[in-house]
Amino acid sequence: MISDFTYLKPGSMKEALQMLKEHEDECKVICGGQSLLVIMRQGLVSPEYVIDIKRLEDANYLTYDAKDGLKIGATCTHRTIEHSAMIKEKYPALEAMEEKLASIQVRNWGTIAGNLAHGDPAGDPAPVLIAMGGSVKLGSTKGERVIPLDEFYPDLFETVMDHDELIVEVQVPPRPAKSATKYQKFNLLESDMGLIGVAVTVTMDGDKCKDARVVLGSAAPTVIRAKEAEQVLIGATLDDTVFEKAGEAAAAECEPVADIHASEEYRRHLIKVLTKRMAKAAWEQAKISG
Amino acid sequence: MNKYTVINPHEPFRVINTHVHNVDGWAKITGRATYTFDVKLPGMLYGKILRSPHPHAKIRGIDFTKALQLDGVKAVVTGKDTLGVKQGIWRRYKDLCDEQILPVEKVRYIGEPVAAVAATTEEIAEKALDLIEVDYEVLPAVFEPLDAIKKGAPEIHDGFERNISVTRHIEWGEVEEGFEESEYIREDWFRCGGQAHMCMETRCAVSSYTPDKKLTIYSSNQSPYYMQGLMAGVLNMREGDIRVLSPYVGGGFGGKFELDGAIFCSAILSMKLYKPVKIVYTREEDFIATKRRTPMFYYTRTGVKKDGTFCAREAKVFTNGGAYTGMGATALYLTGFFHSFPYIWKGYRYDGYRVYTNTLPSTSMRGFGAPQAMWCSEQQIEWIAADLGLDPIEMRRKNSHKEGTILPGQATIASCGIDQCYDEITKWIKGKGKLPANRSIGISACGFMSGGIFNWFDSPYSFSSAVVTINQDGTVELHVGAQDIGQGSNTTMAIICAETLGVKVEDIKVHSGDTDNCPPDLGAWGSRQTLMSGNAVKMASEQAKKQLLEFAYAQSGLNIVYDLDIKDRWVHAIARPERGEDFVALVRKALRGKDGQKIVGRGYYTPHRKGMISPAYSYMLQGVEVEVDEETGKITLMDSMTAHDCGQPINHLGLIGQLEGAFSMAAGYGYLEYMPYEDGKLMNPNLVDYKMIRAPEMPPANIAEIDTYEPEGPYGAKEAGEGLTNPTAAAIGNALFHRFGIQMKECPVRPEMVVNALREKKAKEQAEKK
Amino acid sequence: MEKMLLHLNVNDQDYEIYINPKTLLVEAIRDHIELTGTKRGCDTVSCGACTVIVDGIAVKACSVLAVQAEGTKIMTSEGLEKNGKLAPIQKAFLDEGAFQCGFCTSGMLMSSVAFLNESKNPTEKEIRDGIEGNICRCTGYNSIVRAIDAVAKGKYTEDNA
Repeated sequence: MISDFTYLKPGSMKEALQMLKEHEDECKVICGGQSLLVIMRQGLVSPEYVIDIKRLEDANYLTYDAKDGLKIGATCTHRTIEHSAMIKEKYPALEAMEEKLASIQVRNWGTIAGNLAHGDPAGDPAPVLIAMGGSVKLGSTKGERVIPLDEFYPDLFETVMDHDELIVEVQVPPRPAKSATKYQKFNLLESDMGLIGVAVTVTMDGDKCKDARVVLGSAAPTVIRAKEAEQVLIGATLDDTVFEKAGEAAAAECEPVADIHASEEYRRHLIKVLTKRMAKAAWEQAKISG
Repeated sequence: MNKYTVINPHEPFRVINTHVHNVDGWAKITGRATYTFDVKLPGMLYGKILRSPHPHAKIRGIDFTKALQLDGVKAVVTGKDTLGVKQGIWRRYKDLCDEQILPVEKVRYIGEPVAAVAATTEEIAEKALDLIEVDYEVLPAVFEPLDAIKKGAPEIHDGFERNISVTRHIEWGEVEEGFEESEYIREDWFRCGGQAHMCMETRCAVSSYTPDKKLTIYSSNQSPYYMQGLMAGVLNMREGDIRVLSPYVGGGFGGKFELDGAIFCSAILSMKLYKPVKIVYTREEDFIATKRRTPMFYYTRTGVKKDGTFCAREAKVFTNGGAYTGMGATALYLTGFFHSFPYIWKGYRYDGYRVYTNTLPSTSMRGFGAPQAMWCSEQQIEWIAADLGLDPIEMRRKNSHKEGTILPGQATIASCGIDQCYDEITKWIKGKGKLPANRSIGISACGFMSGGIFNWFDSPYSFSSAVVTINQDGTVELHVGAQDIGQGSNTTMAIICAETLGVKVEDIKVHSGDTDNCPPDLGAWGSRQTLMSGNAVKMASEQAKKQLLEFAYAQSGLNIVYDLDIKDRWVHAIARPERGEDFVALVRKALRGKDGQKIVGRGYYTPHRKGMISPAYSYMLQGVEVEVDEETGKITLMDSMTAHDCGQPINHLGLIGQLEGAFSMAAGYGYLEYMPYEDGKLMNPNLVDYKMIRAPEMPPANIAEIDTYEPEGPYGAKEAGEGLTNPTAAAIGNALFHRFGIQMKECPVRPEMVVNALREKKAKEQAEKK
Repeated sequence: MEKMLLHLNVNDQDYEIYINPKTLLVEAIRDHIELTGTKRGCDTVSCGACTVIVDGIAVKACSVLAVQAEGTKIMTSEGLEKNGKLAPIQKAFLDEGAFQCGFCTSGMLMSSVAFLNESKNPTEKEIRDGIEGNICRCTGYNSIVRAIDAVAKGKYTEDNA
């Protein structure tokens, strides 16, 4: 059962931040609410105030320019990203990820910013965005600051946001040339979150890998970069043996849990397999991309 | 998408097996159908149930004074507010009536109701639960049947030695001789998981007790008659003073014909307050506190000749009965019976033991013990065929039942189309040609009952009854006790009535789901209604038709050798169909002839001398094409074909829907619907962690309908839809066996199990090389 | 908790209700406006039985606050038919038997309508993905997919439905 709360509807982001400051320790911000309402119903959170930013149209944007890259506003829904021709062209990995996120109804109302703020290590956006070097811009009455997403999650379901901050923008740098990101989660049902998820970005320089990111979901209390796996790829001439080694490295450096869905050993096994596959897929795409 | 073909169809009927819309369709697709979930009565209160957190504990005391003080709370009830009657659906056997619903002395599973609250809102009722203090004395608990039968295990019910509540023995033929004759014997142990019914409408009820001492209950259930009888028993009321209504039911699948907390607690509360009380289970409650498919441990030993002739089989099964018996006693028998299906054995023996444990009670679920039986039997048979180098389809075929087969002391097979099923599946497999390297096909055969002959409910009524009343405008009121839970029985009964009377389905108004206005019927379980309720409807319709035709004969002046009939609302001489009169005109004449009394036909059916199980059996063979990712173990279903014999199909759309729907549930049992318990606690009581097939996972479900004629069924019909839940798990297992040579002993098969099995196989092969 | 006044437009009709701000859209529709076609089947935004259409897009009404739907046009299964004439998708559902117990049907219809409004010439895979947010325990989905496919292929129009 959801506990009673006072409902606040700011008319602008500025007003929202003011409300957030005023009630900082006893409020929650709602936009799509696809995660928030579930945990409120379970009694895990009982805010006294709920600040609704759903109708802030100024925050509903999805823009790109060649210099600064992608900017996603706070109230931009998953579905907008999924259907954007610009995203399909510039950040195909984002479109592919959104297509497989939950279900259409959730994507229609929920936001990528809200998903990132919730901080579920099984969530799909964070691994992909981290693999692409993404960041979040946090706003408060004090001002704004940008945090790279791979520094955003200190612990399970925790972010580095202060209580008076919210995510005002998600940023992704322009995709470098000869670079591609691939993401896959392992699930039994297509609409599920993954037992584990792996996102890999490979950037080529000639026939060598210039840069790589290997990001794991559901493999630790937070989404993590498998830095050893990255080091296997960076500087190497990529082939199946290297991908295999990268997979083994990723499997060794993560700390997956055991639960009813999978043992720790099986999760590591899946990390190994998916890292190998995603590294290869990213490489194959990077080779042919501009 | 799907392909649906009929092999050797019978002469076409006017209504039967034609494309008839579901008679409840308009209400359901316009959002107008009112389910118990939607019922709102004036002055209605909302109830919530407090549940035991312990798997086994004595209830020393319950203090609910604080709860009563909460504003809006109207009453709190516990076992002490009841008569303490131990009830059970096996009414005839008192020792199997072991469940109080609101227990007085102790709780036996996590989630068992201990108290119930009625309040002005659901939220207040929920808050009140936290204010009820229960003083438990925690007792040692036991969770697995093989532990519960050990000496020294905690005794869950007084007087049940080794926690064995029910035993069943089935035997026919010469078992020992059969084994002596065998040239190859194989024995295997299997473990079959439970499964949740997962009806879209959770358990719910609205009870209203009024000052005239009558109780009205709206309940989402499969048998209003059973609810009425059981409630009369626990409340010490007359059945006639209880009215049970099941308006529309959001799914049942075998889980909704026993009493549950919603119906019982809402009634007790209402009787205290003289106000309507509604209880709706949350999805979590539905998972943890409504009975599940029976998990089983199976040992099966099978002896055959080297040429594949089946000789003997003996099986021993321990089922995890959970805390109470419920319908589990029937599942115990049926699993043993269908473990022999669909084959002829020189000797067959089965011993089943239902064991109490401190877990959620297990009960009937679509398939009723047969999915478990086939998981074991059909896989072992496949392995035997492989061990002997025989074709698995032909080996099955030569041992299968035929029309006329007798299972001594158990059943006579009056219709059987399985031989043609083998033809169709063989054709389908051949048609597939060479499969991609990561795919394989598995098959499984089975058969199933069309309703049971047993009267463990000890009902004095016919198993099914129907009343047909003809109105002056030719519309027909059809009153049945058969309960539509989504399977389309309202439509099936309307079709049979319309065909028999010679009118159209739109002329029939079906009345069901109301014990005040409908005749008793055992309800929707064991796939009984098409045959049993259908027979009652046919009889009632024939009786009404006969009365009508009497007037037509009288005025027609026909020679005695000529017959009249009614087709498409046209009463005519069969020899000269162009001569006749309109149905409505005849009805009006008959009405006058009967002093203004409507024509009423009554029908009923109870199986007599039909063996130990069922009057008729459906048969099927299913093939499933499975893709497996060898590295991750992930299973994807790509295609399926089911060759199916249900006698004469009655409800065409309903039949296809049943076969496709059964497949999704059966496949879920095979590879998805894992229900893990830890120390008696269900670990995934929600739809995020309990996995079920959704649209992207469902493969094509092609159907080849083998048309046979079952003499006991209305127009030759037998069951469809429950039997189809039996083969799929085994077919998936057999697909894995064919591709990898791994033998999966436990279902559901999860990807990790596949990966482990492959690893073990590889290690074994490497060890053998050395 | 003080109740707030809320205006909702459901099936082209305006309603004025007083609600606790924490009221979910599905509760507003079922309990306050008393349109019970939309159902609830879970607490984890999983089953889709509560799917309605808000400003043309399908959402799960159990995870939308009612107050967030003010100023939108909401459509439920009760709003599909017009003056006694079934919508094409409803006719298709009848013809294909794309429902059995019917409890998931309202949500399934709304997902189907929203999907069809956004998709031209969908493949079978796209249709299945289009309703993946809706659980049906009875039908095995294939009849529903056939119904949606038939509407997508133009077999049913507003006129001949």
